[in-house]
Amino acid sequence: MKRLIPTAEMTLGPFFPREFGQGANDLTPARGDAIEITGRVVQLDGAPLDNVILEIWQADAAGRFDNPDFPGWGRAATDASGIYSFKTIRPGAVPGRAPHINFLILYSGLMRQLQTVMFFANANDPVLNAVQPASLRERLIAKGRGNTYVFDIRLRGEGETPFFGD
Amino acid sequence: MEILIEPRAARTQPSGVEPGYPQTEMRWPSQPLQRRPLTASELSGPQQVLRRLKPLRGDLAGHGEKRAIGQLIHLRARIVDEDGAPVCGAAVEIWHCNAAGKYIHPNDTHDAPVDPNFYGAARMIANEAGLIELRTIKPGAYPVPGEGRWWRPPHVHFSVWGRVWLSRLVTQMFFPGEPLNELDAVLNAVRDTAARSRCIARLLPATEGSDNALVYEYQLVVRGRRAAPGMP
Repeated sequence: MKRLIPTAEMTLGPFFPREFGQGANDLTPARGDAIEITGRVVQLDGAPLDNVILEIWQADAAGRFDNPDFPGWGRAATDASGIYSFKTIRPGAVPGRAPHINFLILYSGLMRQLQTVMFFANANDPVLNAVQPASLRERLIAKGRGNTYVFDIRLRGEGETPFFGD
Repeated sequence: MEILIEPRAARTQPSGVEPGYPQTEMRWPSQPLQRRPLTASELSGPQQVLRRLKPLRGDLAGHGEKRAIGQLIHLRARIVDEDGAPVCGAAVEIWHCNAAGKYIHPNDTHDAPVDPNFYGAARMIANEAGLIELRTIKPGAYPVPGEGRWWRPPHVHFSVWGRVWLSRLVTQMFFPGEPLNELDAVLNAVRDTAARSRCIARLLPATEGSDNALVYEYQLVVRGRRAAPGMP
């Protein structure tokens, strides 16, 4: 069978409709520990970025991806201070994986989507352990304060977040 | 269904930093992208996205007194995977500017006129054949804010969900025969000529379709194919 080549990705651009970016950042109520994930998205010069689109994909509290009662997907947009937030539940451990939340980032000036992953403290995980050099791994571990986890994303520059390619 | 995701050929995708597009140098990571093993997490899908995202507006052109200004077009887009199999039920978000090159968006400072009868955003669901058809008007070209003499050619934005997390596709569709296509820093960031030409829709013969509209056909290929194709 002939293989088709995936369509080229292109930038989201600056005019992603506001209504698409809003109303999908709350994955609760759902069984499990309710948590909030928040963070700031900045560019090379440290400037916060407005209306960045972030999407997440995560397992339910039992580590399942096919739970009809928990969609596992959400989308948020940053505000003028570069801040995003999600309300969700702490994911369970998927077999072979530590609890984690997949992120993708779409924005004007990003010619393709950026993929990264958020982990919790003390994670031992094959995707986290694949990040080289090892000193970068701590950048993928959210900082917890009670039920709030802070996961800042630096697209480029000092303290740059590790992102995953093909 | 088990889905395989394999690395793409670099020339068929934009590389990241584009000399003609200054924002890319502020935002694309300076470090090489990391390699990772793929697990159930990346190879499962948000198949239930539509429980959160409801269909919106299948017709952006309107009728009669509410008809948007511009050439009436039908966008006939087909969502398929790398096997060419239709992605039935795929969610598709579409947005574009009006015929004068103006978006309904607070970030759009271009002084082109707003069309009160045009709101350029729709969300649709692909049918069993992986098809959506949107009735709308052809978007105009517009100058990129603050970027000197760069005019974007007429284009339509697409956001599509495929079978798994890594199948997510956000891209732009272009129109054939537009002189600005040759100069556009977004389209020409795709270095492979064939891959670039696949980003341009095909105009069907004028006898196609109802409604006396121009019909443009376009195919979006999302990442992923079935494991062991051809095996029972």
